[in-house]
Amino acid sequence: MFSVSHKTAFVVDHCPYMAESCRQLIECDMLTKSRSQGVIPLAPVSKSLWTCAIECSMEYCRILFDVYPTWKLVNYIVSDSEVHILNSWKQEDQNTHELMAALAAVGPPNPRQDPECCSVLHGLVAAVESLCKITEYQHESRTTLMDTADRVANRGRIICLTNAKSDTHVRMLEDCVLETIQEQNKRAAGSDRLMPIQQCELVLVHIYPQGEETLVSDRQKKELSSMLSSEVHSVRAGRYLASKLNVLVQQHFDLASTTITNIPMKEEQHANTSANYDVELLHHRDAHMEFIKSGDLHMAGSTSRDSGLKETVTLKWCTPRTNSVELHYCTGAYRISPVDVNSRPSSCLTNFLLNGRSVLLEQPRKSGSKVISHMLSSHGGEIFLHVLNSTRSTLEDPPSISEGCGGRVTDYRITDFGEFMRENRLTPFPDSMIDAAGRTPVERAKSQLERYTRYWPMIISQTTIFNMQAVVPLANLIVKDTLTDEDVLTCQKTVYNLVDMERKSDPLPISTVGSRGKGPKRDEQYRIMWNELETLVKAHVGTSERHQRVLECISACRSKPPEEEERKKRGRKREDKEDKTEKNGKDTEEKGWTTDSERLKGVMEREKDEQSECEIIKDSPDSPEPLNKKPRLATEEQQPPEKSKGLALPSASEGVVERNHHI
Amino acid sequence: MPTAVLLDSSLSMTRPVSVEGSEEFQRKNLAVHGLTMLFEHMATNYRLEFTSLVSFSSLWEVLVPFTRDYNTLQEALNNLEDYDKTCLEAALQGVSNIVQQEWGTSCPCQVVLVTDGALGIGRGSLRHSLQTVKQRVEDKKFPLPFPFPSKLYVMCIANAEELQATDSMDNLEQLINLNGGEGQIYTMEGPLCLKSVQSMFGKLIDQAYSPFHAVLRCGNLTSDVQVFPRPEPVTIDEEVDPMPRTVQTEGDEIGTGATDDTEEETSTNQMAGKSPNFCVLLHGSLKVEGMVALVQLGPDWFGMLYSQADSKKKSNLMMSLFEPGSEPLPWLGRISQLGPASDAAENPYGEDDSKSPFPIQPKHKRSYAQNVTVWIKASGLQTDVQKILRNARKLPEKTQTFYKELNRLRKAALAFGFWELLKSMAELLERECTLLSDSAHPDAAFQLSHAAQQLKLASSGDSKYAAYEHNITPMLTDFSGGGGAHRI
Repeated sequence: MFSVSHKTAFVVDHCPYMAESCRQLIECDMLTKSRSQGVIPLAPVSKSLWTCAIECSMEYCRILFDVYPTWKLVNYIVSDSEVHILNSWKQEDQNTHELMAALAAVGPPNPRQDPECCSVLHGLVAAVESLCKITEYQHESRTTLMDTADRVANRGRIICLTNAKSDTHVRMLEDCVLETIQEQNKRAAGSDRLMPIQQCELVLVHIYPQGEETLVSDRQKKELSSMLSSEVHSVRAGRYLASKLNVLVQQHFDLASTTITNIPMKEEQHANTSANYDVELLHHRDAHMEFIKSGDLHMAGSTSRDSGLKETVTLKWCTPRTNSVELHYCTGAYRISPVDVNSRPSSCLTNFLLNGRSVLLEQPRKSGSKVISHMLSSHGGEIFLHVLNSTRSTLEDPPSISEGCGGRVTDYRITDFGEFMRENRLTPFPDSMIDAAGRTPVERAKSQLERYTRYWPMIISQTTIFNMQAVVPLANLIVKDTLTDEDVLTCQKTVYNLVDMERKSDPLPISTVGSRGKGPKRDEQYRIMWNELETLVKAHVGTSERHQRVLECISACRSKPPEEEERKKRGRKREDKEDKTEKNGKDTEEKGWTTDSERLKGVMEREKDEQSECEIIKDSPDSPEPLNKKPRLATEEQQPPEKSKGLALPSASEGVVERNHHI
Repeated sequence: MPTAVLLDSSLSMTRPVSVEGSEEFQRKNLAVHGLTMLFEHMATNYRLEFTSLVSFSSLWEVLVPFTRDYNTLQEALNNLEDYDKTCLEAALQGVSNIVQQEWGTSCPCQVVLVTDGALGIGRGSLRHSLQTVKQRVEDKKFPLPFPFPSKLYVMCIANAEELQATDSMDNLEQLINLNGGEGQIYTMEGPLCLKSVQSMFGKLIDQAYSPFHAVLRCGNLTSDVQVFPRPEPVTIDEEVDPMPRTVQTEGDEIGTGATDDTEEETSTNQMAGKSPNFCVLLHGSLKVEGMVALVQLGPDWFGMLYSQADSKKKSNLMMSLFEPGSEPLPWLGRISQLGPASDAAENPYGEDDSKSPFPIQPKHKRSYAQNVTVWIKASGLQTDVQKILRNARKLPEKTQTFYKELNRLRKAALAFGFWELLKSMAELLERECTLLSDSAHPDAAFQLSHAAQQLKLASSGDSKYAAYEHNITPMLTDFSGGGGAHRI
């Protein structure tokens, strides 16, 4: 599970010869004409080989950390007469700020140090030792995989920036690395915190000053053993080194380059004119997959102006529309890193995106047609290149949900469920947040959903209590994991309030859908309401003793079952049913109630039901499927045994506010 | 996922099948019978999928472009014509083209090749194509592997013995291998008859066209759902060793968050009925609230549900699958660390819904968000030096910016071991000091020489002055009360 790119050890030579100038002069005294009179310009400065090596390796790390903030780790090692290890594999050490601080502490090489006791070898040995050290990620995978722990591989790469004497010197460095790997692997085999190296890539970069002949020849990747491969790059210091490392970081981490072209920018001097600029970005090459596969890459690709070495895909900026409601299917999002991070066009583009704007990018096509293929947008301070589907989508023209199962029911508790969702919203918790029962936050969220849905009628005509403002305090509290005494009191007050309402004979919002006349009598209404309330509270009675007390309160206060004589009047059939319900207890209570309520409406509804059953359900024109086809049967099992509830009128989603929440 | 049916219409398909006693069939009739069965199955169970019908001989022709209208496909089957010889390579290239034109290269597609296994002779035959497969130039490459994720199913209107008697079977196996092993060859068992062709297509249906039924669960609220297109198992290349993952049929809705990004799309749809259905309730509320629901599809595999509306006011519940993993969207953090907002000490969404805990900000800012110093290009260095000089000329008004820029340069120069630059910068500041006009504020001269001196000290490498975290602070002068000299 861990490739060579999981661990990168940088070894930078800090020996006296690295203090030598790279012999590329930089004029930093840019005198303006008006001030130049009589002033002698300052001599230009030049960087040392060390400075060149450091800035280019920092640039490599900057791009790496931008695109892979986790999982790809760097260990930075400086070598002279001893080894300076500037950071560890720990994730918290993986940022350029820490590395810069550590490098400042090391300082430039001391040209007066005895060259005899200095060598990059110390660093290479340390790098091999370091590659044997287990990373947090490897450790975590080993512990979670237990039985397949041997799947956790240990591979790594060493990038050595040095000034070698000759090809023989290079051989010597390679031999040393190979020997050290063999030695260290023996040691690692017997340790818990170490792992033997299975594969190591050595990348030797020989840096030499401008104007000198190189003493070391370039060499392509070569297998030195089954564990070690090595390649040699001989590069002049300065911008050649920079572009070499830029190419390497792309190769090592599967990156590709996109140049955003035609970015309109206001001129600094003349605020009302604008010119077009280009900005080059690096990102994972999968963002170009569609181009690579379709062969459009060569067409779209042009050569990067700076390096002349690598290819870049050019995409055109499309001026963002403010009210873009167009939907785009996004098939992937990839982090980016600007190549020239602090140039003005780059920082303009990145600031624009960090401020929450998005930019659509257009792919130039052979046919000249306009195709939007990508989008740049930021999330939480990180910019992503989004890949958009630019061809036909298999998801086009989906059927409306109202054509499906339950689509013709009109009285869903949409608003209530919206409230339910808001109460069950998620939020991130710190990594250590595990509750007393050892549950992760997401497990707690699932158990909360379970509690909140123990009794949750989906349609308005199926419930009385959830249509009553008076029940709200109790309904909100009873679903909770724990209740305080105060909560119990609130619930009791709710119950007393209901008793009061019953005494005053206040009307209840009993559904009268489908019924002719006035519906059930007042006392019958209250009986239905109390039954439902009991059902709700009984679903939570096992949670705690305080939940139990709420139920006791209801049982004590609710209107007593009707007198014996009254029951007889209502006839035998109903009585049987009730007895059954009571005997079956808690589990069937809900059903008992439903039946109760249904029965009241039943007679009235039956007529209408029969009518609506004959209606034909329209299918999408693409699939004129006859009504008697099989699949309908599949859903029949899940339908409750009772006849359907309410009348199916327009689709459930009609009359609902349109609100798009798409990109 | 779309299907392209590639039907052999060469003359050999008209060969009669010897059936004892009953009416005489051609192989073509058997092929049509099998495809009819496939289309009927799709019309009932897969009606949201697109299918195209292509016939081929030495040429190829799109009989029906990608459609959900299975009647049209069936009609085309009933009106087939017979042509000359079999040239499979051109036909496969044709299929490759039409799929790419329609769906691009990232949409997975199934290709069903129906043939009698007589794969042509001489030029244009599959044998010839395969023999020359390695000698192709760039623009005449063999069409396999298809550039899009694909499965190639070869339905042979022939039995295995017949195919093995010639090299047909070998050639077809090579074809599957060329497609990266993605696909399968089906042959008929026993005598060639309607029954055996049915059993062969039945196997294909079981393998590749089984509908995806699942249960969507939110606590105790559940709903049976069917998902289009069928979510296929994903093999994630976790760096090197791949591990396959499949979608569990129990979708667990684990709560709602407010985010907005989509990856692989799948639409959820149910069959007809009039009893209340949780999907409809969920869809309605997601739509009204503008929310999305997080859904768990398996261990460490998540997706989201949301209301998707097309332009015609129709909307449906959509499920987007994220890449498998514990942290599919960086700005949500680890999914396992998402818990009920009610557990938080303070409502992260604010009492009036004005806040959101998302997106989560990364611990370290990305380079483009933190004003990093890069001097790889000379212009980068020159800009930074000029910025300091510009502010130096506007002292003491710009004291703060002057020191801020100066310290930025100092830090970078120390990290890069570029002490020479510190010395040069000091000299430039000293020169600025001498160039100050008589009307200049007296504080300017003090600050310039102070800054220059501090840079020189830093360039000596003396640990007292060259500490990275140390900042040069403005000199406290007699003028500092009225000027801009504050500690930074």
